[in-house]
Amino acid sequence: MLEVSNLGYWYDHQDNSLFNNVNLTFEAGQSYAVIGQSGSGKTTFLSLIAGLDVPREGTISLDGQDIQQIGLTNYRKHDVSIVFQAYNLLTYMSPLNNVLTAMSITNSSHQGDQQFAKDLLGKLGLTDVQMTQMVTHLSGGQQQRVAIARAMAVDAKLVVADEPTGNLDEANTKEVVNLFQKLAHEQQKCVIIITHEPDVAAACDRQIKLSNHEFVVKDATTV
Amino acid sequence: MNFFKRAWLSLIAKKGRSVLMLIVTSAIMLFVFAGLLINTAANNATEQAKESVGATLTLSANREAAFKKMQQSQSSSSSSRPKLTTSPVKLSDAKKIAKLANVSSYNATTSTSVNTDGFDTVSTTSSSSPMGGMKSSSSTGDITINGVTNTAQSSSFSDKTNKLTAGRQLTSADSGTNNVMIESELAKADSLKVGDTIKVKSTSGSKTYQLKIVGIYKASSSATTQMGPGASDPANTIYTSNTFANTVKGSKYANTADSVTFTISNPSAVNQVKKAGKSVINTSKYSLSADDSSYQTVKASMKNVKSFANKIVWLVSIAGTIILALIVMLQIRERRHEIGVLLSMGESRFKIISQLFVELAMVMVVSLVIAGIGGQFIGNKLGQQLVSQQTTTATSSGTSQAGPGGTTGRPSGAPTGNMQGGMRQNMSNQSSKAKQAKLKVTLSPVQLVKLGAMGFVIILLSVVIAAGGILRLRPKQILLE
Repeated sequence: MLEVSNLGYWYDHQDNSLFNNVNLTFEAGQSYAVIGQSGSGKTTFLSLIAGLDVPREGTISLDGQDIQQIGLTNYRKHDVSIVFQAYNLLTYMSPLNNVLTAMSITNSSHQGDQQFAKDLLGKLGLTDVQMTQMVTHLSGGQQQRVAIARAMAVDAKLVVADEPTGNLDEANTKEVVNLFQKLAHEQQKCVIIITHEPDVAAACDRQIKLSNHEFVVKDATTV
Repeated sequence: MNFFKRAWLSLIAKKGRSVLMLIVTSAIMLFVFAGLLINTAANNATEQAKESVGATLTLSANREAAFKKMQQSQSSSSSSRPKLTTSPVKLSDAKKIAKLANVSSYNATTSTSVNTDGFDTVSTTSSSSPMGGMKSSSSTGDITINGVTNTAQSSSFSDKTNKLTAGRQLTSADSGTNNVMIESELAKADSLKVGDTIKVKSTSGSKTYQLKIVGIYKASSSATTQMGPGASDPANTIYTSNTFANTVKGSKYANTADSVTFTISNPSAVNQVKKAGKSVINTSKYSLSADDSSYQTVKASMKNVKSFANKIVWLVSIAGTIILALIVMLQIRERRHEIGVLLSMGESRFKIISQLFVELAMVMVVSLVIAGIGGQFIGNKLGQQLVSQQTTTATSSGTSQAGPGGTTGRPSGAPTGNMQGGMRQNMSNQSSKAKQAKLKVTLSPVQLVKLGAMGFVIILLSVVIAAGGILRLRPKQILLE
């Protein structure tokens, strides 16, 4: 589904490339964990496959089409949903409106949009009162769940998450990981999670380790 | 949830920022609106001046030509004493001009004098005057007769120097009658009232006329103060029909007048009418002079007011655009993260800019209401201040141009008994009318729509100028770095 070919990226102020000549394939219905040390380039890799930045070398293709040809805005709108470590919610809205805004922007229609969004937030443990409060009134864990609900509410084929469980306790972490697994296995989405946590990585179908500027696939699925 | 709803949610969630924007846009809109209102009011005032201030053309004997003729005869013949001969205006000639386009009416005026017969004139009492307390009587007559077609059109009545206090005014229907209007002081001194008759006799004493009082008027005191030593008290002026004044002057004056004043319906066409009028009269006998100075005074002052109002509109619009653009730029800096989130979800830059525009537009709608309420008040205050400055300047310059005496005096032997007074009255008339040119600043839906259009152009420009900041942004730079 998502194919990374000869991918290379470097920063202008650094002498060496962050990574070079990377070739990876990500399949629908599978979950992937990208692990590695801090500063190894995990988040930069995420920004490239999420269409937030442009690679210096190589291409990223979705179903055989270069995402730059699709158009990065279109790609982000229709094909990928992102969960950020810092939640990145719209702070002047309630959780419900955050989810509805994402659905509106991505043209993701579900029968009874409002009820669909409420059900989704309810499944992630938010009460009716919390759903209509300003998101700034929620705890870090609650805000993370809103961010996950927002990503789950849209019809994207690819879900990319950057440390999605970083602010959650053990119980909630398990619940969120289960949700991502369900997205991959039941909704046939491709889920890519950037994480530090070995438990989260172990729960995913495949692990990709980024070490010394190279990607190493633990479970041989790729080139 | 589209960008309209996002804009609304953003506005109500960030109340402090919204109130600040409201104050800034209201201040900008208030001054733009005040400028627009003053501009429109100045246009209206100029238009109204065309109707209310009016302009006139005066047909009278051509003194300049007569003077040249006198000089020529003086050089060719040294035996006889030279004589300035002028022709009275024939009413048949005046009627030719009256038929021209834009001439709404005319008023024939003839002045002469008579002596009283059986009643007393009013004495001018002044301790400083050498004539004080003496009964006015001379060979030129102790009563001044102003023969007119219609007293209402006479400048003394139209500018309210004289006011009717009893009976009625003289009209063209009084032509051929001995109906008169007398001054209230004269009526009081002789216990006369409307319906009474008085007798006057010609200065030669050969003829006596019986006159019927149909109206009594009051002359304002300001007219009295303009009198010089030896002049007749204005209370001794009586108004008659033009035909009666001609009868007193003699049979050769039948169907003539000293001068005929034409009222021009459209003051801006006065020169056009003057040109057309000259083509139908004998210009060696008559002169046709235009008086549209009141209109020109109002027009000039309104032009200055309009110019100032235009400058206000432009300056505030440009400054407002810059201020709003800077505020939007600061907002974009403050809202970089929000913009990054929207971009990461695939929202187009156009819709993000549109959201900012809609937020400002919502604030602008409230500002329009505030400007609608406050703009009229500010416009009125500012407009009246401007007009009073302009009118004072225009009036003082008009007075100084006329000179301390107001006129150069009258040539000897000319049949213009009250010419000096008439000129003075005319200047007074101009000044008072110039002062009347007030700005009536009123609110209309068209002006509100115009203001709204200007407001939306200002915020559109502000957002477009500030949007460069958004267009340069990359989601990764905002969200991940």
